[in-house]
Amino acid sequence: MKVDREKLTSTISSMKGKGYDYLVKITAVDYVDHIDAIYILRDMEAKKDETLEVTLNPKDLWLPTIIDSHKSADWYEREMSEMFGIEIRGRRALRLLLEKWDGTDPPLRKTFQWYAPYNTANPKK
Amino acid sequence: MLINDLVNISFWTGSPDIVYNLIGIVLFVIIVSIIFSVYGYVIGWLERKLIARAQYRHGPTYVGMWGILQNLADLIKLLAKQDLALENADKFLYTVSVPIILALSVFIILILPYSPSLQATNLGFGLIIAFTIISFLPLLMFTSGFATGNKFADISAQRSVLILISYEVPTLIVVAGIAMLSGSYSFQGIIQAQASNFYFAALMPIGLIIFFITMLAEFERPPFDLREADNELIAGWLTDYSSPYYALSLFIDYARMFLGSVLIAILFFGGWLGPILPPIVWLLLKAFIISLFIIMIRATAFRMRIDRILRLGWLWLVPLSLINLIITYIVFVGLPT
Amino acid sequence: MALTRINIGPVHPSTHGVIHLVVDIDGDTIADVEPHIGFLHRGVEKLTETRMYMQNPPYMEKLDYIAPMSYNEAYVAAVESAMGIEVKERAQYIRVILLELQRIASHLLSVGLLCNDLGQMFTGFMWTFKDRDLVLDLLQEAAGSRMFYVNMRLGGLNRDLPPDFADHANETLNYLEKRVTEYENYIEKSPIFTERMKGVGFMSPEEAKNLGVTGPVLRGSGVDYDVRKNNPYYVYEKLHFSTKVLHEGDNFARYKVRMLEMKESIRLVRTALRMLPDGDALGMPVKLRSPNPVNRIATVNRELPRGEVYMYLVADPQKPYRLSMRSPNFINLAALKHITRGQRIADLFAIMGSLDLVMGCVDR
Repeated sequence: MKVDREKLTSTISSMKGKGYDYLVKITAVDYVDHIDAIYILRDMEAKKDETLEVTLNPKDLWLPTIIDSHKSADWYEREMSEMFGIEIRGRRALRLLLEKWDGTDPPLRKTFQWYAPYNTANPKK
Repeated sequence: MLINDLVNISFWTGSPDIVYNLIGIVLFVIIVSIIFSVYGYVIGWLERKLIARAQYRHGPTYVGMWGILQNLADLIKLLAKQDLALENADKFLYTVSVPIILALSVFIILILPYSPSLQATNLGFGLIIAFTIISFLPLLMFTSGFATGNKFADISAQRSVLILISYEVPTLIVVAGIAMLSGSYSFQGIIQAQASNFYFAALMPIGLIIFFITMLAEFERPPFDLREADNELIAGWLTDYSSPYYALSLFIDYARMFLGSVLIAILFFGGWLGPILPPIVWLLLKAFIISLFIIMIRATAFRMRIDRILRLGWLWLVPLSLINLIITYIVFVGLPT
Repeated sequence: MALTRINIGPVHPSTHGVIHLVVDIDGDTIADVEPHIGFLHRGVEKLTETRMYMQNPPYMEKLDYIAPMSYNEAYVAAVESAMGIEVKERAQYIRVILLELQRIASHLLSVGLLCNDLGQMFTGFMWTFKDRDLVLDLLQEAAGSRMFYVNMRLGGLNRDLPPDFADHANETLNYLEKRVTEYENYIEKSPIFTERMKGVGFMSPEEAKNLGVTGPVLRGSGVDYDVRKNNPYYVYEKLHFSTKVLHEGDNFARYKVRMLEMKESIRLVRTALRMLPDGDALGMPVKLRSPNPVNRIATVNRELPRGEVYMYLVADPQKPYRLSMRSPNFINLAALKHITRGQRIADLFAIMGSLDLVMGCVDR
């Protein structure tokens, strides 16, 4: 199911009311020309999963937080923001969760430079 | 009376010959030190072996026969390590407190009697001196914990004060019961009272259980080893002690184990009383069995939480020890003849 | 009162791996816990994008090194789903048997470590570790290795079960059943254990769903969700078994769910061994070139010993385009902050032990 990011928060909270009260995973896929953020929600009684896709433009990467309806979104959002360079709005600044990097080259994007230029003359830089 | 005993403590008893007496003192100290070192070493090795057997392991096997030299090897390894202290440690207390704890433990060991003849002096108030110094030990751990400047040691120090407050009371009440039963504050008098009567273990079983539990708590044996709880507090008040101090702390462990076992043997199981075998063998045998019991508790027990320990102390041990005292008084002392 | 901040880890006797907890304590009570993770981050998700499909299983096994086969199976199942490959029937049964044995091994270790976290001198740990070894013996017979198996192939396994496997397995299972009951007696009759476990680290069903916890942690909070039952895969439907749900929501319930699951797994393996059909169980031999995927996106969820893993695989020919894993330990650890508040510092490790964390899986 495709969702606009402006409607994301309201969609997820209304789905929570309808029984989709368990957040399985937030992740993202980099398709180079666009980035899909993926929210997987679950209705445990009806045994149904629902996948929400938010298509983002790589030049305008931000998402609203859904931490108000799902506390579990906390770490998923942090991970996604760190790995894809997606800004999460509506919550306090995010500390890096898994890695240490300078914030210029998100690791899970396809543009990620595998072998960083290494200064042999001065290894400390 | 008190002054007389204090004069006695200088060992200038019997013969007026100072040199003769000094030789006697040195011999006594050497004999007791050998006894307690050998005992501590054997117990330290047995502790490893027995716990290993309880866990389907073999324990130390490599150093010496049946790994008997393993503890010595560990000691040498510890002494070979670098001695480090934190920058914000209180250097004086850091250096001094662990040796003082060991010295005080050994001092109590030296004032205990080991047989009718093997003792420093028959102190009229030996019981009081021993328990006063035992109460000091947690206080010293408190200072040494604060002196290292480590937060884990701080928490451990706070816990040791809490345990000190709540477990001293039942210990001393039980000890008061023993003094009442034997009519004496001296260890000799207590053992003589048991010779002419039953062992105190039979006369006050509640007192024995309480005393055993409080000794476990005072000497940091599981399940009360909260100050050294290695899960949360790494090594408790010993966290920032290294090399020689940590090695000394191992001595402290064995000294306290020996002390606790011998105290229980003297106070409740008649000390050296027993047929055929020489008195010192009987005392050590009884202490040894008590030590084995303490080791097996270590192999099986889970660690208690601090609030539960305090609850156990105040809600169970203190009232029970009072009941024990009252029963002892009514049954054995207060009955009019 | 001023709070004291203590740093537990990254090197600490009881953190089950490399994790750094920044704990604010008020006296002996925890005011706040902030886990810092990532010490074992190897970037496996990115790494898979550069490897061929069947080059990846060894990486998957190193994620959860306590239950490696389960993770491996989840990945292979995702690839099979993308390629539209059916698993042979005998192979399905054998996979179920191996996965349940893996679950028993993992839970045994978890219970032993929990004893350790409660301050016992390694006795419970050593006992369960010895029994875990017997299960590993069975897995070695079946898969050829004790720790990292890499025995899943597309559509089947690398080899069939040896002919006398069923006898060995039944012998071991009979012994294990006796031992698990023994552990229950031995552990639960200790008043210190029950005192420290009951009512500690409470999580209500609503909170558990909101925090997104999975596996025994979720079922210990009274939410009846088990992927094996609710979204059955392989032959789990034919093997009648029940999910274990307890409603207390505390440490004890989580521990007890694992105990009950072990017994249920023993029963499951027995049934599967009895129903094991004849036929071929071998999968495709490992070659660099694998069949091209028919589905662009494959999603697979599996019940691991520690909870549910959700594989989201975007498939390219020969290589994954993107593999996203929902790690059960990752989200269970995220809940730690919420359930430790107001507990004693000694209980922090009891709670961590009851969550049963493996850091390799948290950091990926």
